[in-house]
Amino acid sequence: MPELLEVHDVVAGYGNGPAILDGTSIKVRGGQIQCIIGPNGAGKSTLLKTICGNLPIRSGEVLLGGERIVGLQPHEILRKGICFVPQERALFPRMSVRENLRMGGYILNDRAELERRIDDVLERFPILRERAHQLASTMSGGQQQMLTMARTMIVRPRIVMLDEPSLGLAPKIVDQVYDIIKLLRDEGITILLIEQNALMGLKNADWGVVLDLGKTLFEGPAKEILADERIQELYLGRRSKAA
Amino acid sequence: MTNAIQVLILGVMLGGVYALMASGLTLIFGVMRIVNLAHPIMIIWGAFVAYWLFKLYGIDPLVSMPIAAAFMFLVGIVLYKLVYAREAASAKYSEMTVLLTFAVALVMDGAVSTAFSNTQRVTSPPYATDAFIFGPIFIPTAQLYAGIVSIILVGGLFAFLQFTRTGYAIRATTQNRTAAQLLGVNVAFISLLTFAIGSALAGASGALVSFVFSFFPAKHWEWIAVLMSLVVLGGMGKLVGTIVGAFVLSIIAAFVGTYAGATWSTITFFLALFLILLIRPQGLFGDPIEGT
Amino acid sequence: MSLNPGASGEVDNVVAARRAYNAGLAATKREDRSWGFVVGFVILLAALPLLQFVGNANYVLHMALYTFMYIAMTSAWNIVGGYTGYISLGHNVFFGIGGYFSGMILAGAGISTLITAPLAGLVAAACGIVVGLITLRVRGPSFIISSIALLMIVRILFDNWDYIGGSNGLSVPVNDLDVRWTKLPYFYAMLVIAILTVIVSYKIKHSKFGLGLRALSQDEVKAESAGIDTFTYKVMAFAISAFFVGMCGAIWGEYLTYIRPNIFLIILVAANMVLMGIIGGKGTVAGPIVGTVLIVAFNEYMVYQFGASALNILGTGIVMLLTLMFFPLGIVGTLAKKRKLPRFLDWD
Repeated sequence: MPELLEVHDVVAGYGNGPAILDGTSIKVRGGQIQCIIGPNGAGKSTLLKTICGNLPIRSGEVLLGGERIVGLQPHEILRKGICFVPQERALFPRMSVRENLRMGGYILNDRAELERRIDDVLERFPILRERAHQLASTMSGGQQQMLTMARTMIVRPRIVMLDEPSLGLAPKIVDQVYDIIKLLRDEGITILLIEQNALMGLKNADWGVVLDLGKTLFEGPAKEILADERIQELYLGRRSKAA
Repeated sequence: MTNAIQVLILGVMLGGVYALMASGLTLIFGVMRIVNLAHPIMIIWGAFVAYWLFKLYGIDPLVSMPIAAAFMFLVGIVLYKLVYAREAASAKYSEMTVLLTFAVALVMDGAVSTAFSNTQRVTSPPYATDAFIFGPIFIPTAQLYAGIVSIILVGGLFAFLQFTRTGYAIRATTQNRTAAQLLGVNVAFISLLTFAIGSALAGASGALVSFVFSFFPAKHWEWIAVLMSLVVLGGMGKLVGTIVGAFVLSIIAAFVGTYAGATWSTITFFLALFLILLIRPQGLFGDPIEGT
Repeated sequence: MSLNPGASGEVDNVVAARRAYNAGLAATKREDRSWGFVVGFVILLAALPLLQFVGNANYVLHMALYTFMYIAMTSAWNIVGGYTGYISLGHNVFFGIGGYFSGMILAGAGISTLITAPLAGLVAAACGIVVGLITLRVRGPSFIISSIALLMIVRILFDNWDYIGGSNGLSVPVNDLDVRWTKLPYFYAMLVIAILTVIVSYKIKHSKFGLGLRALSQDEVKAESAGIDTFTYKVMAFAISAFFVGMCGAIWGEYLTYIRPNIFLIILVAANMVLMGIIGGKGTVAGPIVGTVLIVAFNEYMVYQFGASALNILGTGIVMLLTLMFFPLGIVGTLAKKRKLPRFLDWD
């Protein structure tokens, strides 16, 4: 499959602090769910922030479909087709479901088209359609996450990046969230997600990346990574058979 | 009974004026998390614009209201670029920013005090001394016009925020700055625009106020406390809360002023503030405070 | 699947880099303080009245007295505004309470404020506790607004309270000392109060209490979860601050021989306290002193050049604006950050 997004040797950090990403490289393949796992402080969130333009890159390259996107403003990167959903609620609490969806399409110029896409999305998510005029803050955690995901569909992005989509949700709701993620993938959207819960992330993904100490350590089909003993010991909490 | 209705109507009109005065303040706080202590002196500047336009060219203050608004819009842009642009980037509440606005207030106060001295002034268009008489009810025309225009403007602000794309962007930035930015909102520009709009609202309310109250530069200190109390009451940044608070308190203050004397009517706002801090610190419509 | 070789060697590099970075962050604390210089300077100040033997030093004594008072008040303000991070823009409410309390006693029973000042301070502190119990429950912006509102309430109340003189205020008798020495008692009283306030400020800064205040000024929620009773700490700081401001009010009332709301309860007094605190260095011990001296000198210069007009307000505003924009840490703070603070000012 063609490589949609390429990150080459990126070095980045916060303020004048040390480099959190220390020469990180990944390749994101189109049409797949790619999951990044790794311990705290490894640089997973930082990586997503550099891709979407929220954090300046000190050195390195980021290519989208072969085009350089380093140095672009976040809203320009959004227009190019990369949508980032940050950790924790990304919604507007005092806006209704419909208004939140409308904000999702803020960069669209055609108001009529925007309304059509909103209706479209509401069709696919009956739970949201029922609550179209309900304030986002009054919905349950799972419903809010559903709204967050649905909102990404409004701009028809090429890539959606999710920072810990299962955070703070009950296991049954997490399954529903991943169902939606798979739905997005089936629509042709490429998903790049971070999961602290490595096991769950890899189980639901097509491709896996292991990040540690600001560098990419392992990369491959999710199932293979799950099965690898070294990774099981270091990152999945299984004791090695030799011990 | 007719007296009560009269006081009620006066209270509503006053509420409209205070709501307009406070709405710019609330808007700015919502988007930029800046408590703009210089807002009331901007109102005074607007009042001076209307006053001089009337004194020198005979222009009715209701007509010069949009001029005052436009003038203060520009002043707002200049102030923002000079003083607040660096702070607004982080848009989290900081004491330093409040002190900055305090300093700006002193500068703007000193400027008009020096230029125009501290004498009391009031714009006196012909209707300033008239009154509408509906049967037994007697409403001064000035209060009535100011109140109605204020209510229309506040309504207009509301409509702008609810129904236009920019209004959406402003509301989104108020509620979740990061998410707004990630969805393509240019939050730096929105901060600038909101500050300018807030300043324009101050200018407009100044023009109205110029023929309702007599004003002098140092009066802004009194208004700071009143308007700020309204903002806290409403829930720090919630426009609806501020507007509701303005009407409710103005009505109460009108009754207090009538039956206990004019000096006590302003105290109503301050006492209400303390009461709210005691009972419900987050204000009428605010989000619960962390840790309480 | 690709595996980066030598991944374990990276760990050591990262740890070493982290250690070096942290070492650079740690500011070195001065252990040696030059108290000799300070004590000598205070003795010099105490000897100022001797100038009366040489010529008419009334102006000098007046300015010195005024400066001592603001040093005390700004240092006191700093305990709440600087150490605790709660900016009070109506702090002179305690100035007024102290002034009126002692003034009433002086007018009624003839007892000098020099004796009743500590009591006035306690009354102000008690008011501080009551007010603090209400207003210290809210953070930042709401607190600032409540401090202004409080000042307005007290101003309106005192303006309309005929028992204490209403807006005409209270007149108190002048003391019956020789013309050369009338200012003397107040001069020494203010000097003593200023010294006391600075000492208390120093002690607080270097105590566990002060550490707690600093913690809560940075992140109140985290301080609370670290076990600090933030509410009690805040109220205590507020009360201590009010105590000293109240005492100043008491002495100033007798010195002026009249106590009026439009002198004691105007926002410009609070504005001065805040400005002096900031320009000197909010949160430092020596900052309020430096700031006070500078602003008093600046004000005197402005009055000398332009007369007591609105230009004063304009000038104060511009100074404050420039300080906040370019020297937010104040003089002492900025010098300390650049490691250029002279020893005699480094009391933190």
